[in-house]
Amino acid sequence: MPAINLMSISLLYATSFAILLLGFLTALSSKDLIRLLIALELMFGAVFMSLIPLFAVAANPAFAASIIVIFTSAGELLVLIAAIVIQDRRVKNILVRDITAGGDKL
Amino acid sequence: MILLGAFAGVLVLSALGVLLSKDNFYSALFMTLTLVMVATVYALFDLQPLFVLIVFVFVGVIGIVTVALAATYRAMPERQFAWIWCIPVLITAVMLGFSIFTHALHGTGTGISISSPIGFTLQGFLKPGSEYQLLFLFLTSLVILLFLSVIKIYRGEES
Repeated sequence: MPAINLMSISLLYATSFAILLLGFLTALSSKDLIRLLIALELMFGAVFMSLIPLFAVAANPAFAASIIVIFTSAGELLVLIAAIVIQDRRVKNILVRDITAGGDKL
Repeated sequence: MILLGAFAGVLVLSALGVLLSKDNFYSALFMTLTLVMVATVYALFDLQPLFVLIVFVFVGVIGIVTVALAATYRAMPERQFAWIWCIPVLITAVMLGFSIFTHALHGTGTGISISSPIGFTLQGFLKPGSEYQLLFLFLTSLVILLFLSVIKIYRGEES
């Protein structure tokens, strides 16, 4: 088992940042909702990675935070999956451009 | 450390596969691989309860449903990407790199015990009378309410 030291913390945070960045790029380049769902899951993976160093400082609160993150993110993604199915039933496609509610224009 | 580096390399490569793959099905497979590797990093630090939770709850349920959805709606989408988004990304990367660099330069001030193994036990977390049991109960109620809301939305859409 590797010990938590500065090098491993740096590596964990750098990897987490790289995954988060790739998740953002995937979300930005997505034109359909499935790809958006995949990008969100990837970003949650980055969040899980960034929680590991917290275990070295406070293990029990870190575990509690991890459980909350896992269950709430799974719930959020479940809602998105339901939304994709409903979107497909309504407009017969799952393209992001056909979503008319919410979002900002840059 | 070498093993952690190897896992980090595979993680970044599989995440890159998600971005570069044009087929959503393969993107979903790469995403599942990334999440399994994240869980493996937890196992590497002797945090097996988190490994089980991530693999069974996150990958086993949500990941597989995503793969099934991607296989159902299999399509080759076009790309849209504005390069202006590189600016905040670069700023964040520079800030992260600078904070790690200054931390390495000026010693340890974060309270993290250097070179210490993680001392976490599930028995210690779930001991009787622990406040985390209440948290777990609230969380379970929240998830059940969320599931019921999804079912209600779906049934309302059907009728």
